[in-house]
Amino acid sequence: MCRIGAIKSKNKIHPSLALKLMRSQQEGHDDSGFAFIMQDLGGLFENYKDLPLLSMAATIEGTRIVEDILQQIGFSRVMQWSVDINNKENLKIDAMPNYIFEVLQYPKSYKHATKEEKEELLIDTSLRIRQALDNTSSGFIYSFWPDTLTLKEIGSPKDIGTYFNLWEGNKDLVSSIITAQCRQNTNYDIVRYAAHPFFLEGYCGLVNGENTFFEKNKNYQKKLYKGYFGFESDSQCLLYTLHYVHKILGWPIQYFKHVITPLDYEQIITRKDSDVLLRIKAGLSSLEINGPNTFLGVTPKKELICVCDSKKLRPVVIGRDDNTVVMTSEVSGINDILPNRNKEEDIYPKENELILIKDDLAVEVWKQ
Amino acid sequence: MEAVKINEIHRNELPFLIEIDESKCIQCGRCSAVCSFNAIKPAVELRKSGSIKNDEKVKKVLVIKQNVSLDNYCRGCAMCANVCPNNAIRIIRNKEDKYSTIYRAKHADSFKKGGRSNLNTEGRTLDKIKIGRISQMTDPSLDATRHTFELKTPFGRVLSADKLDFEVREGKVVQKHTLPPNRWIYPIIFGDMSIGAVSWRMWEAMAIATAYLNEVEGIPIRMCTGEGGIPTRLLKSRYVKYMILQIASGHFGWNRIIKTIPSMIEDPAGILIKIGQGAKPGDGGLLMASKVTRYVQEIRGVPKADLLSPPTHQGLYSIEESVQKMFLSMNAAFQFRVPVAIKVAASTTSVSVYNNLLRDPYNIVGGFFIDGLAGGTGAAHEISLNHTGHPITSKLRDCYLAAVHQGRQGEIPLFAGGGLGYTGNFAADAFKLICLGANGVFTGRMLLEIAGCVGNDIGKCNACNTGCCPSGIATQDIRLVKRLDVDKVAQNLVNYILATNIELKKLMAPIGCSTLPVGRSDALITVDKHIANRLDIQYSC
Amino acid sequence: MKTCTIETLNNNERMSTQELLQLINEKVSKGYDNFIINACGQHDIGCALFNNKKINLKIKNPGQRVGAMGLEGTTITVLGSTPADVGWLNSGAVITVLGDAGDTAAHCAAGGKIFVAGRVGARSGALMKHDPKYEEPQLWVLKNTGSFSFEFMGGGVAVVCGYDCSQSVLSNHACEGMVGGVIYARGKIEGLSSCVEIKKLDKNDEEFLIKGLEVFLDKIDKKEIKGELSKFSQWKKIVPKNKANEKEKITLSEFKKKHWFNNGLFSDLIEDDFCVYSLCEGGSAKLRKPLWDKKLCVKCDLCLNNCPYRAINKENNNYLSDDKKCIGCGICAAVCPKKAWNMEDNRKG
Repeated sequence: MCRIGAIKSKNKIHPSLALKLMRSQQEGHDDSGFAFIMQDLGGLFENYKDLPLLSMAATIEGTRIVEDILQQIGFSRVMQWSVDINNKENLKIDAMPNYIFEVLQYPKSYKHATKEEKEELLIDTSLRIRQALDNTSSGFIYSFWPDTLTLKEIGSPKDIGTYFNLWEGNKDLVSSIITAQCRQNTNYDIVRYAAHPFFLEGYCGLVNGENTFFEKNKNYQKKLYKGYFGFESDSQCLLYTLHYVHKILGWPIQYFKHVITPLDYEQIITRKDSDVLLRIKAGLSSLEINGPNTFLGVTPKKELICVCDSKKLRPVVIGRDDNTVVMTSEVSGINDILPNRNKEEDIYPKENELILIKDDLAVEVWKQ
Repeated sequence: MEAVKINEIHRNELPFLIEIDESKCIQCGRCSAVCSFNAIKPAVELRKSGSIKNDEKVKKVLVIKQNVSLDNYCRGCAMCANVCPNNAIRIIRNKEDKYSTIYRAKHADSFKKGGRSNLNTEGRTLDKIKIGRISQMTDPSLDATRHTFELKTPFGRVLSADKLDFEVREGKVVQKHTLPPNRWIYPIIFGDMSIGAVSWRMWEAMAIATAYLNEVEGIPIRMCTGEGGIPTRLLKSRYVKYMILQIASGHFGWNRIIKTIPSMIEDPAGILIKIGQGAKPGDGGLLMASKVTRYVQEIRGVPKADLLSPPTHQGLYSIEESVQKMFLSMNAAFQFRVPVAIKVAASTTSVSVYNNLLRDPYNIVGGFFIDGLAGGTGAAHEISLNHTGHPITSKLRDCYLAAVHQGRQGEIPLFAGGGLGYTGNFAADAFKLICLGANGVFTGRMLLEIAGCVGNDIGKCNACNTGCCPSGIATQDIRLVKRLDVDKVAQNLVNYILATNIELKKLMAPIGCSTLPVGRSDALITVDKHIANRLDIQYSC
Repeated sequence: MKTCTIETLNNNERMSTQELLQLINEKVSKGYDNFIINACGQHDIGCALFNNKKINLKIKNPGQRVGAMGLEGTTITVLGSTPADVGWLNSGAVITVLGDAGDTAAHCAAGGKIFVAGRVGARSGALMKHDPKYEEPQLWVLKNTGSFSFEFMGGGVAVVCGYDCSQSVLSNHACEGMVGGVIYARGKIEGLSSCVEIKKLDKNDEEFLIKGLEVFLDKIDKKEIKGELSKFSQWKKIVPKNKANEKEKITLSEFKKKHWFNNGLFSDLIEDDFCVYSLCEGGSAKLRKPLWDKKLCVKCDLCLNNCPYRAINKENNNYLSDDKKCIGCGICAAVCPKKAWNMEDNRKG
């Protein structure tokens, strides 16, 4: 099990809030890592929202390799944020030599490129960088996308917070959405790429779960789209399915639920939309998930979603006040960061629901 | 005393030896009366009594003897031993068996038999596979009896999401075009045995069991009719919706089926085009004239004659033509409302065929049935039965992985059969094949066994071709057919499926699966490295 | 009463569950019996505490399994909502949650009482059980449960008041595999497992609820709604189905009689009376029948004397085989010295 959280606020928030959200949930994970993704950035990044932001961790060699690639393609650096490292002794962290967060300008030839062309360039470049870093074991690329910053590290979340000076809030490193995971990887190697949240083209996903249809999902997704790669974690599959259903197929987000946890045949045949649902159940059966899973996600429209497996085997709760919505594994985390909310409005998602938090924080509870 | 001639057959050359314990035999004659092969008979023998030199006497005694004859020989069915009140009879498999050699020398004809392949050289891959990925702490195992499971699989052409071409209207996904027929069925299909190959009682028992399982037990099992026609009254009844109508190269009964289409109140469950059979791949079917009784003639629409289904569908000379002629036409006959699938014998070429079908630009290929070499048959040349064919497991896996390679898994549902339940656990075999990529399985042999077939895979009985089936299953001889109790067979079939249903859940539960684990090869392990490599599953030791 | 207040957070340093529980144990052994704990998600607070006295705990923001394995004499109040597994394997503690409880509340509870002032999550009440030697466990919920509640429940009493709940008060799939115990629920109930049945309340049930509600509402400080909850027509009682009363499925032979083709599927094509032959039978069941040739017969009576079924009769020097008695064994033919008996195929037509 791991512990996951997603915060979306009308105010710009700092990762310290995520650390505090996860702090009381420590016994639910194994203190083995902390990762977060910030979307809809403010502060230092406020003025660069349309430009791609590269988040990676690398050795010196890796850093050079990536710079060469970016230069070769024609990207130019616009802004770099250097992390203020607090290298106290005895911190439980397995740090990398370099952490790179830089805003880049698209190549000149992309001056008149469409959004799609630019997105294609970013995904191709990400793949190329990843390949180069993997080949030389010299680092990890986490995201390369506008308005998105990712940090993943191995170690104790508390110490990772200390190492990167994240416990103290500031106005430089802020965003309106932060998703975070404290990690416990039961089945796979402890590798940075296996840490949630996962990110792809504006979609972000994190899972507390064990997707027992990993093999099926993976086999199918490998052929679906070039951006579906890695598969270091069975949970990546859920993000890719969200991306496939919502972006590639263009279906309303509710259908994500129909794909990953299709209703039973007997339930479907009583419905008006049974034709469509049966086709989805058959045609996308390889994307069904099984086993215990709670999924939290972010869409490019800056909405949050939450869905659970069809037997509701993992915990999740959503708390909110006028300015902030928090989704996380255990209510104790929300009690820490939103102590004064109206607890009667907390939402406990059910096995047949999809909870959507719109950009204006309006809540939609959709029943399958 | 009978004269013993050289070149005729001798007792110790027969496949089975019948041994009678004379101290127990009371000469009741039940054994000879029951034997449908006329292979055991009463006889008078001479016996000496007294000492050799002084008071030598010869007297006649009544005994029960094995018939030593090329035509009437023991098939090992052991019905005689079953009816013997004193357990005086033992049937012994004869290691010196030369029967088939002598048969060929005498008749200048190939040796024929029914039943199953008997060489058994390939071993049992499925038995070397275990379900090894158990949900232990990573995720919860389920409770097989108390949790709910869904055991249903699509049958019919499945379109991938991009080909569904849905449109979004007012926040809902809606269908733009008519889509190919697709049904959700139980992952076990009653295999194709024709009226004619099996007796009317056997066929009716299967049909009743199918109807009962669907309508009372809620298990949406389907039965494939085999190619021997279907009674018109069944076609016109609601039960036809549980029937997959088979068409093979002989097209027997099909003109009648076509004529009945306008008066059918329900669509059939599907159409299965039979190209080949695992037990005798590349060989056609043959129903001997002796089995073509009047009612068989009536149902098949044929005169009394040997009925041959050729090994090929005349007019099908390529995959493309097969698709057009058979798939398109069969789809057309039922106005594109009924899934049309195809059954082939497993072959080294199966993957190419499946790859071709997967392209299916017209969305008319509704399923691919692969039949492995351990399947059964009503009649075959022994040489086909024993020396042709391909095991099911790797072939099914190859086909599934070929689809995975193209990103098209699940688009044409795979069904596997051929020797399932061979070592006693049908559910385990079915489950393993599903994990390897099958959407479902089909079986004929289990149905026969449940009905009381006394044959086995090491040569016992295997006389389905003779029309003398001692259990009344594979015969049209009313005296033998009447040995079969329709109600009891139907009940046993129902019970067996209910038991299998429980057992399938008992395998789904520990791997934490509430829906069918199609393609979940990660759940399987094997202690055989070669199998692990070949099937791409985990090697364990 | 000796009170001890514990803070578990000091700047960013959080006391681990282990540290907290050991501290509580230490204090209990020193005679403290009243605790105020400002927790930060620590698990198992209130677990198996014992000092021969009553122990009270007031907890703010605990983690999972508050009061797990709680013993008699322990009284716990959670000031707010709490995560999963409240009162897991409760063996006697009285636990009050002044907010919502997460998933699997009262899981495997075998004693004591759990009062929840809000909702409980999925699989709450799962496997509650009643050890006949002790008082049965109780779970009281003011609002509603999540789905799959009372899964495999084996005993005890659960009361779900459905307060402020417009949807199914037990959500979906409640009571799967429930074999014992009672659930009282007020309001709409949907998607119940087929293994339970809904009953009306009787006098005893009402008495139990009247008494229990008094205590429950007092605990959660909601006495004002007692009237609203006491309209017993709105309540239902859920118990495992009595298997003996279950309607049996139609049997296969009934199905055949009622729904299948008259006289069988093939009756328009072939005559079949559906009688079943035993393996050795006379009459038309036999495979072979003996035929007697008068010309060859020497009237030695060997056939007559050797027939095991006494099927051969001699009348006026003619031998006749009784078709009913004869099973076609062929002994007459075998013993006949003149081959006057021959076995012929008994096929009709």
